[in-house]
Amino acid sequence: MASSAHTRPLSDIEIRVKALESLLVEKGLVDQAAVDALIDKYEHKVGPRNGAKVVARAWVDPEYKARLLAHGTEAIEELGFSGMQGEDMVVVENTADVHNVLVCTLCSCYPWPTLGLPPVWYKSAPYRSRVVIEPRGVLKEFGLELPEATEVRVWDSTSEVRYMVLPERPAGTEHLSEDELAALVTRDAMIGVTKVSK
Amino acid sequence: MSINAAQAIGASNSRGGSTKLDVEVAPRFAAGQRIRVRKINPAGHTRMPQYLRGCEGVIAQDFGVFVFPDTHAHGGDQKPQHVYSVRFTAKEVWGREGGERDVLLVDVWDDYMDAVP
Amino acid sequence: MNGVHDLGGSDGHGPINPEPNEPVFHEEWEKRVFGMFLPVAATGAFNLDEFRHAIERMGAPSYLNTSYYEHWLHAFETLLVEKGTLSAEELAARRAQIAQETH
Repeated sequence: MASSAHTRPLSDIEIRVKALESLLVEKGLVDQAAVDALIDKYEHKVGPRNGAKVVARAWVDPEYKARLLAHGTEAIEELGFSGMQGEDMVVVENTADVHNVLVCTLCSCYPWPTLGLPPVWYKSAPYRSRVVIEPRGVLKEFGLELPEATEVRVWDSTSEVRYMVLPERPAGTEHLSEDELAALVTRDAMIGVTKVSK
Repeated sequence: MSINAAQAIGASNSRGGSTKLDVEVAPRFAAGQRIRVRKINPAGHTRMPQYLRGCEGVIAQDFGVFVFPDTHAHGGDQKPQHVYSVRFTAKEVWGREGGERDVLLVDVWDDYMDAVP
Repeated sequence: MNGVHDLGGSDGHGPINPEPNEPVFHEEWEKRVFGMFLPVAATGAFNLDEFRHAIERMGAPSYLNTSYYEHWLHAFETLLVEKGTLSAEELAARRAQIAQETH
């Protein structure tokens, strides 16, 4: 039997995408090499490890932390992270008294340069509908139970400003290097649905 | 007409997509001021969520002048105006079901608000 | 518009169910849709607010029953046809041709 370029018929959505892309290429509107380069960048080079480096630097360098909280975009750019969906960044700090959590109830706005592309749950109706009305219940689903006295701040990204949470540095990490600290920082802690643990 | 790979990566690394505008527009509000979100129900695009319409909040911070999405989505008029971070208590927004110590911080354009006297 | 995309405070959407070790993309076609956004937007074919509104206009059942990158695909198809970059007929003809070739 002759080999075939594909092993199954294409799905309807695969056909729609191929039709769209091939027409845009033919009309000279899209260069497939540009599409490939963007996919490679956001699949392999941009992601929450970027944000983790920003957080670790803020934990070890008080002057950097002050710049990060005052001028987020510029301080993040100092570490080499900038661009689309992070053009105007605001970093919000978790403390013993305040816990911040991010959402976009209207679409799925998310800080791409520091966190990469958002996970499906962040883009989906269950999270977007509920975190604004019962944030503590949602955080419990992620395993985070906050004291009643903690102020919970829910940031709904309705504009082109993009937010990132600066989590609390866990206790007992005084001996760790900046790189070791960065390895502790998770995507979910920078969205604000969990804390960083040792 | 199409951009090549280097141009695409360059654009994705740049702040070129920012909708912040370098133009002088007088802010309608100042930090600390009480506002009420207008009860609007436009047929077209808007970035003012329904759950906040009619609610009172306090201006926390002025982010500067940005493109106004309600006009930009319909014909491209930028209608430059200020965007603010506005703080709402969960009690104000949700009533009895709102958490005692929970607050919402939402980005709101000038055209979506009135001052509370 | 008071669309179903405006989700804040609404009930009945079920549990959140985060996926452990989730990949950046789940399907090859999602990558192509994602990768086309910046190049097409850079031609001036549409702005981001028009793109978001095209998703909002897709209708409540479709919005809730399709994935994020299907929303993007819908917005591309809607806006590029509305603005005359592509015609609905050439899209339909190309789909039929691809379906036949890959059957």
